[in-house]
Amino acid sequence: MMKHFGEYIRQQREKLRENNPEFSLRKIAAKIDVEPSFLSKVERGEQPPPSEAKIALLAEALGEDADVLLALAGKVSSDLQKVIRQRPKLFAELIREMKDMPDHAVLRLVREVRDGKW
Amino acid sequence: MIELKRDSLVFSFPEVHPEARLEIEFERTLRIPDDGKDHFLPPGLGSFPLKHVDDFAGGVPGKWLEHGGVMLPMHQAEAMWIMFDSSHISGHGAEYPFAVKIAAGKIDAVTGEQWTNGLHGVPQDYLVIPEQPWLDGFCVEKGVIRQFVAMPLGRGYTAEEQITGAAEFGGLQIIAYPMKREAFERRFPKRRDAERAMEVSLCMPNMSKMDMGLAPGGRMIQEICEDPFDFNDWDRSRSSRCFMHIANSLVWRAITGEAPPTVPPTAEAYTSAGLPWFDYYAEGAEALEGSDILKQLKSVIQLGREKRETPVPENGSVAPERVVRLGDRRPRSQVREGKF
Repeated sequence: MMKHFGEYIRQQREKLRENNPEFSLRKIAAKIDVEPSFLSKVERGEQPPPSEAKIALLAEALGEDADVLLALAGKVSSDLQKVIRQRPKLFAELIREMKDMPDHAVLRLVREVRDGKW
Repeated sequence: MIELKRDSLVFSFPEVHPEARLEIEFERTLRIPDDGKDHFLPPGLGSFPLKHVDDFAGGVPGKWLEHGGVMLPMHQAEAMWIMFDSSHISGHGAEYPFAVKIAAGKIDAVTGEQWTNGLHGVPQDYLVIPEQPWLDGFCVEKGVIRQFVAMPLGRGYTAEEQITGAAEFGGLQIIAYPMKREAFERRFPKRRDAERAMEVSLCMPNMSKMDMGLAPGGRMIQEICEDPFDFNDWDRSRSSRCFMHIANSLVWRAITGEAPPTVPPTAEAYTSAGLPWFDYYAEGAEALEGSDILKQLKSVIQLGREKRETPVPENGSVAPERVVRLGDRRPRSQVREGKF
């Protein structure tokens, strides 16, 4: 079962803290500019996940993927929302079509940077 | 394969190792003074936006489409540095090593030789990642580089024009080679204990004025690390390469419809604001001797004086009071950033 946001953050932060005191609750809270008590409540699920901007900072501080953290928080990044709003019908269809595709098939759709003749 | 992800080039070699990934970012920065002094590392001011040239086929020169790759905007006399980040491989306690060749206008930034597709051990014409966390310019002496500074192609300032006499390519060229999996597993065996850390015109732009190249700017203290591995450890049968076109910021909006990043602050303004410069020392790493070819290059300021031109808007000296020393094998939490 998918972990809730705070539980996941706490688990990842604690793992990192075992080897590096820079990952203490207080230090990470300072890095993302929130009160330690707020972060503690988020980790314990007593507060809803913070804003997108704070989640992005948290992802950077913990070496996590921002989209994964946003998904755990039940959010979609504003850049993705903008992309979807520009062509909502197309992207809705695309996502529904792809929902059951295996990872390797989805990855085949990833666009490569084209190399040409130099 | 190479993907463009959030203004980073991501090189991956799943056929070598499922986690062999190298991320390269192009950082905006201050232009350091070109005053004969050796300066510390300037900060990163955020990354340059990157776009597929194919997405703007109607607005870019035909040769850009022929080369393929991506493009980024730079103001005249703006500087950049390149940041490398390779993936940490779970269980091995190491980042996957890559050999990376960087050229500007198809002039190798380490040796000053003209571009060839292979890797060469003697003289070493590549960088070793993760040993080399970043590259700020042309390797002119042991422990000294001359900063990458964007200049319009065709005016004689770029390294390419100074060395070949022609303004043909411009931009940046990159090719990455992964370490052979067998060599990686031998050198970094799996650990028994589980890993803990798992600007702007309404008409079409003038194509002849949009292409930029990189010219040598001021001197900066930066070592280019000698390859600590065996040359045969590199998988020279597998590589991915990318042509990075540099568009003059003045035409970026006409091509893409998006505003280019603002002009970075001057080194003087940044320093007077009490913001930090950086010093990095890779303990134990041997530095390559500088290139004799690159040593002969004239800086933008030197060449400007000879041509009786003013190629850069200002060139005031600085005496930084805050220098942040970055330790060996920069951890992820250690960043080279400046907010202005």
